[in-house]
Amino acid sequence: MGSIIELQDVSKLYGFGDATTLALDEITLDIDEGEFVAVMGPSGCGKSTLMNLIGLLDRPTHGTYTLSGKSAEHLRPARRAKIRRDTIGFVFQFFNLLPRLTVIENVALPLAYKGIGPRNRMKQALNMLERVGMNSREFYHPQHLSGGQAQCVAIARALVNNPKIIIADEPTGNLDSAASRLVMELLSEIHKTGSTILFVTHNPELTRYATRVVYMHDGAIVHDEQTAIGEIASTAREVMYTLPVKTEEDDLAGVSTLMKAVPHAAKPPRATAKKKTAKKAGSTKTRRRATRSKV
Amino acid sequence: MSAVLRGNLRMALSDVRGAKWRSVLTMLGVTVGIVAVVTVVDIGGGVKRQIVGTLQHFGPGLIIVRPGQVSDTGSGLGNGKNDVLFGLSSASTLSMQDLQTVQQTPGVSTVAPLGVVPGVATVDDHKSSKVFVLAANSNAATVLNQKVSQGDFWSSADENAQTAVIGRNVGQALFGEPVPLGRSFKFRGQDFIVRGIFAPFDNVPFSPTASFNDAIFIPYQTAAHLTQNTASLYVILAKASNPKQTNGVTTAITTKLRAAHGNAQDFTVLNASQSAGINSGVIHLLSMWIFAIGAISLAIGGVGIMNIMLLNVTERMHEIGVRKAIGASSRQIWSQFMMEAAVLSVVGGCVGIVVALVVDGLLYAYSDLKPVISWQAIVVATLVSLAIGIVFGTAPAIKAARKDPIDALRHE
Ligand SMILES: Nc1ncnc2c1ncn2[C@@H]1O[C@H](COP(=O)(O)OP(=O)(O)OP(=O)(O)O)[C@@H](O)[C@H]1O
Ligand SMILES: [Mg+2]
Repeated sequence: MGSIIELQDVSKLYGFGDATTLALDEITLDIDEGEFVAVMGPSGCGKSTLMNLIGLLDRPTHGTYTLSGKSAEHLRPARRAKIRRDTIGFVFQFFNLLPRLTVIENVALPLAYKGIGPRNRMKQALNMLERVGMNSREFYHPQHLSGGQAQCVAIARALVNNPKIIIADEPTGNLDSAASRLVMELLSEIHKTGSTILFVTHNPELTRYATRVVYMHDGAIVHDEQTAIGEIASTAREVMYTLPVKTEEDDLAGVSTLMKAVPHAAKPPRATAKKKTAKKAGSTKTRRRATRSKV
Repeated sequence: MSAVLRGNLRMALSDVRGAKWRSVLTMLGVTVGIVAVVTVVDIGGGVKRQIVGTLQHFGPGLIIVRPGQVSDTGSGLGNGKNDVLFGLSSASTLSMQDLQTVQQTPGVSTVAPLGVVPGVATVDDHKSSKVFVLAANSNAATVLNQKVSQGDFWSSADENAQTAVIGRNVGQALFGEPVPLGRSFKFRGQDFIVRGIFAPFDNVPFSPTASFNDAIFIPYQTAAHLTQNTASLYVILAKASNPKQTNGVTTAITTKLRAAHGNAQDFTVLNASQSAGINSGVIHLLSMWIFAIGAISLAIGGVGIMNIMLLNVTERMHEIGVRKAIGASSRQIWSQFMMEAAVLSVVGGCVGIVVALVVDGLLYAYSDLKPVISWQAIVVATLVSLAIGIVFGTAPAIKAARKDPIDALRHE
């Protein structure tokens, strides 16, 4: 019951002075337990930044973050490490398996950090590999796996500590469509067991696995819609079918076909927010970039 | 926690086993340091054993009179370790007169002179470069406390005879047979007959390159005739009649000799325990030097390890990020890199120990140094290399542990 992730006016700034970038601009976002959230938006809009904040890899510059009902932005590093270990599972675009460990050792590593003995560790890791269908490759080294296989192993590693939240930043970004489908089906399976999953994607097709799609632009959430599993989210579908043609202009401006599809995007997305930003960050650079992509 | 430690240990070992040249070179500093330290300790132990052996061999109450001054400040270092006892280094200031003086000192039971007689011994024109001739008197066997295993030593009646007692190795070297009793050799134009063969002298080298086992002993007076009294006296050995009064007798000899030399202290009187002291002083100084070299080398090795570990941490920043993302705490990252540094250092140290043992073996086989393997040194060496790994691994490990997970992950 209730939200497992609550972000309140969360901002993230990078750099100092003239080089300041506003990567997240007063984001407020609640995610309930058991949701399967797809995050979409043009490159550089802050999706990864948001994932890293939620995953406790990074800290917000402003705002509050409540994770499982507990304030999370001022936790000490050791505590954050423990939460990452026990409640969050990460899946990365580039898999991030450790090349010198075998598949099963990779999967067992989070258990090792939890202090579980080698035999138990290997047993649980093997179970997990079975679950993702990779148990025949347990003694391979990651560099001998295909991209799809590597991502399945990475998912097994993310799952091995039974985390409540899975965060996957472009898990299919490096995979072809067949492998993408495999990975997404796997995440769906996990979702069915009650996990909360957040994933970033540039592929509207993949929103059919999600229960909710969040669209971001320039560090802000510009659209947020519930969607039925099995159906491509309506906004995303527009991108695919009704606005399939990209103009060169749009291309220069990033993935703005998607932005055109977002209901409010026709109007300036956040006229009010912009004023606040100007007051807070005063970053000409950010604002210049923001205006350009709205062309 | 221990599960992680064990995993870290295994990974660290596999790094070293992967024999990255870098790791090998890093370990080299520690290895050299450990080799230096362990070998020095073992050689020191060997010398100590040699000295103790010498003392036991001669028995208590031996007094040695040497020409020149032997200081115990370590300036004797160049003389080599054994020259303090029986050196060849300085021109003699001792004479047959002094032998008389020592003999007449109260409390002295027997004296024996020992001098090197220049010349080459030949058997049918065959000679050996190792063999040398010493002049001694009939007391020599008694004073040296050495058994004659074949034949006998000459008596006081034969001090003028052309007779000889030979060391164990001379038979084979010069005569081509181990026991050339009754055979003769030519020395300075005269024929000498072998009448006795010493039992092997163990660990009483005459000088670093020659031992009593290679010596031919001939009567002193015969030698004096042959050389027109130019043969010099290198050592006078005296035995105190009561071993307990050795120190007193030593002082008495010094006083008498000084008077005889017109108050000039151009000689040194030592008894065995004092000489051992000087020897160990020399050894001590030498050891300090090599120890210093070892310590410097260990420090350099440590810095090398720190460098490599820093490089390692930088190169593996991304890995550190991944590990932190999947739940490693800073402490666990710290312990991983500490473990790696310690393994590098300890493996380097163990290689050093092995090399030191090989060096010990080579020295034992091919030199007069007879190192004694010291288990304490091995244990200490292992602990020292562990300590070096820990001390110099700390900074890199802290660097790795402190890194923010997201910064580490962004690192490529
Ligand atoms: N460490 C950093 N230092 C400075 N600026 C950064 C840093 N990380 C991200 N940014 C900036 O923050 C903004 C958001 O970056 P982010 O990586 O979150 O985008 P994204 O939506 O994940 O993009 P993509 O789809 O390409 O992965 C970008 O403008 C980026 O340049
Ligand atoms: Mg990204």
